[in-house]
Amino acid sequence: MNRILLWTGVSFGGLVVLAYIGLSIMAGGPKDAIQMLRFALPHMHRGKLKVGDGAPDAQLVALDGATRFHVRERNHGRPLVLVFGSFT
Amino acid sequence: MQIYDDYKDHADFLTIYIREAHPLDEWRMKSNEKDKDNVCYVQPKNLEQRVAIANDFTQRFKFPVPFGIDEMTDAANDAYAAWPERLYILDERGRISYKGGNGPFQYDPKEVRAWLAQRYGEVKHPEPAPEKKS
Repeated sequence: MNRILLWTGVSFGGLVVLAYIGLSIMAGGPKDAIQMLRFALPHMHRGKLKVGDGAPDAQLVALDGATRFHVRERNHGRPLVLVFGSFT
Repeated sequence: MQIYDDYKDHADFLTIYIREAHPLDEWRMKSNEKDKDNVCYVQPKNLEQRVAIANDFTQRFKFPVPFGIDEMTDAANDAYAAWPERLYILDERGRISYKGGNGPFQYDPKEVRAWLAQRYGEVKHPEPAPEKKS
């Protein structure tokens, strides 16, 4: 019984180490892997929207920092391409 | 943005600036520091900071595409599951006609171009002339 528990623990530990190594390679380094888990994963979602769904509306701020407008206001009569992103 | 230039007479475009993907105080990327553009910011803590970065971006790159900034509640980001980058096309009736994958690995502007080309025709660009050997 003890041997089974030991090997289960060793196998699990090995898998965790392998996963961390893989994540480090993907993220760019061991420190990056931690930062990715901490900062990126909470914000990354597949989302539930599907093709054919009504597009959700959202209020946005113009570059002047004061004017507000809605996504829906920009979507009338023609397709609207939405490009989400940031600088970094 | 070549797609914008090619199809702006047929479709509307809107860039939506959302929370930073690789700010200095979170998951920073060495490439951002080495980059000649020196793209180094901390995650904005208020709207003024977010607006300032957005303006820096549009001015540095003379970005021609209409631009909107997500509120600090990240409402647009949450509604579209957009972070870190994502593309959508809404049809004339306000329905989602194309949903791209999460960036960076599944972010594919070629799919948007293909959608627009299917509807409005392909826009071809001349191949760059080969460099002459001296």
